[in-house]
Amino acid sequence: MKKQLLILLIFMVWAFITTFIHIGVIRSGRVVSQLQREVTIKESRNQYEELEISRLSGPEVITSYAATKLGMVQAKPHEVFVLEDK
Amino acid sequence: MFERSAFSAPKVFNVKKRMRLMLMIMLLFPLCIAGRLFYLQLFRHEQYSSQAERTIYNYLAEDRVRGGIYDVNGRSLAQSVRTHSCGIVKRYVKDKNATINFLAQTLGLPKAKISENWKKHKNFFFVAKKIKPDVYMELASVLRKPLGRGLELTPEYERIHPFGKSAIDILGEANSKNVGLSGIEQMYNEEMTQDISKKRAKRSARGDIIYDRRLKEKINVANVYLTIDQTAQYYTERALQKAVELNHPERAIALVQDPNTGNILAAASYPAKDGQSLAFQFTYEPGSTFKSIVIATALDSGTLAPTDSIYMDGRNWEVAKGFVVRDKQHNKDYLTLPEILQLSSNVGAGKVAVEIGAKTLFSYFKAFGFGSKTDINFNGESKGSLAPYNTWTKVDLATKGYGYGVAVTPIQLITAYSAIANGGTLMQPHLVDRLEYTGGKVDKKAKPIKIRRVLSEQTAQTMRTFLQTVVEVGSGKRAQIKGFNVAGKTGTAEKLSKEGGYAKRNHVVSFCGMVPATKPQFTILVILDNPSTYAFGSTAAAPVFKEIAEPLLVMKAVAPDQEDF
Repeated sequence: MKKQLLILLIFMVWAFITTFIHIGVIRSGRVVSQLQREVTIKESRNQYEELEISRLSGPEVITSYAATKLGMVQAKPHEVFVLEDK
Repeated sequence: MFERSAFSAPKVFNVKKRMRLMLMIMLLFPLCIAGRLFYLQLFRHEQYSSQAERTIYNYLAEDRVRGGIYDVNGRSLAQSVRTHSCGIVKRYVKDKNATINFLAQTLGLPKAKISENWKKHKNFFFVAKKIKPDVYMELASVLRKPLGRGLELTPEYERIHPFGKSAIDILGEANSKNVGLSGIEQMYNEEMTQDISKKRAKRSARGDIIYDRRLKEKINVANVYLTIDQTAQYYTERALQKAVELNHPERAIALVQDPNTGNILAAASYPAKDGQSLAFQFTYEPGSTFKSIVIATALDSGTLAPTDSIYMDGRNWEVAKGFVVRDKQHNKDYLTLPEILQLSSNVGAGKVAVEIGAKTLFSYFKAFGFGSKTDINFNGESKGSLAPYNTWTKVDLATKGYGYGVAVTPIQLITAYSAIANGGTLMQPHLVDRLEYTGGKVDKKAKPIKIRRVLSEQTAQTMRTFLQTVVEVGSGKRAQIKGFNVAGKTGTAEKLSKEGGYAKRNHVVSFCGMVPATKPQFTILVILDNPSTYAFGSTAAAPVFKEIAEPLLVMKAVAPDQEDF
């Protein structure tokens, strides 16, 4: 009788641990999914930012800002002093 | 207690019999079930398993992944960015009004529009497409809350051009399903895209979509790197735009090539249409810019020497009965070869062509690449038009001398001028520098390829000197750049009229040149087709050359080749 009770106890402990682990795995899975989604979104947001940086550092914007905000004038080729002839 | 009669049969036999009977009856059910299972598993497996799969899983299509297009320095010109579309599955929504309010506020849409869609659709409808990441984050934050029940966020891609319409005639367009429709997008569609086949997903009890991760595919798409330099492209487009505003042509083209490699550094078209680059698709009679090719042929074939002069026939040369070529721009009886170019003499160039002869002239034209596609591999590239020499009359021969009766494309002409610029070698023009795959493989496309030698080093050098005089004292003065020797040739060609013959008021004006003339780094061609104002190659196209060349020389830090300036 004692032996049977012991087996029953072991089985119950095993079932409890398995259930606990299973719940843990499911929770972790959800967290991983959420993190993966956030990574994807942050990557895509980063991509948008990179494209915006690319546009802002493009010749059109730079030339326009240099001329309008800083009052700069584009150099003529003969005014450029080339230190090392390529 | 139980009493047994002396004459009755033993009761034990009856009990056993009944028990067996009961056992058989009890076994009958499992046997039936086992039999049914056997039948279903063996004969109806396919049908029911697919039915079950359809019930559990939804097959959701995801857009194709697409590589980007970059300039030669890695500056992004076209890129696919991951966005999302937001849909509603009505039957999972708990609170209709709250959901509509939330969506209207987050997506910035009118409530009435969402409500109208709600009424119109039975179960599912898209509320918004191409949702930006920040908005997506807001939507995703409520997905697990009661407010988010029934919301469906499906990934998709948006094609973005950071520089707007710049080089759009080269790049072309890709549609919302990430399929290239024109230009580079279409030409390299196969290399740039990967179909992420329909992704398997199941829906949870709350209506969430759970993707099957095992089906995640490895992405291996190509990024296309052009030979185009975005900065050069900007300067070229800016200069061409100015010329368009000033001269109001029907069409305009500006093309910049590195004569030493054949790489196209900039190509601008007006009007700029997706994937329709006039630089490769437009054909025209080149007019006087073609005289350089004819004079180069005369020198290289030994027909004429650089010091020879051509008799002008009183500037009224009757080529054949009823066909007279006239020069009105000078009153000289003889012109040297450089003078023919400087004054853009049709009589001189026509006489040189006749002197060379049809067969030799034709073979040089072919060697320069006229009448054949350049193999730059741009969709819709034209090969121009060059009739076989045995069909030419004397008039045909003479007119070809000054660029009529032959149709060329801008890419053919600039490549021919680049041969003069680089010392006589026809280089294979390139538009695509390399393909870089996400897996790391690099496929180099723009290796400098020498197609053939068309002129000797000496002839090319002499031609550069001749063309330099055109800019110094001839029709190309407006292309002069302080500190730099410029070599080039203007062209003003009458266009064929619909009524037959040439229309006096419809012109194609152009300038093709190279800088610095002593060691050319850039060959630049400018074409204005049918300007509405009265214009010539010298007045309308040559200044555009200068406008493009100046910032390019600064950009590449090219040292001046003049000593006193």
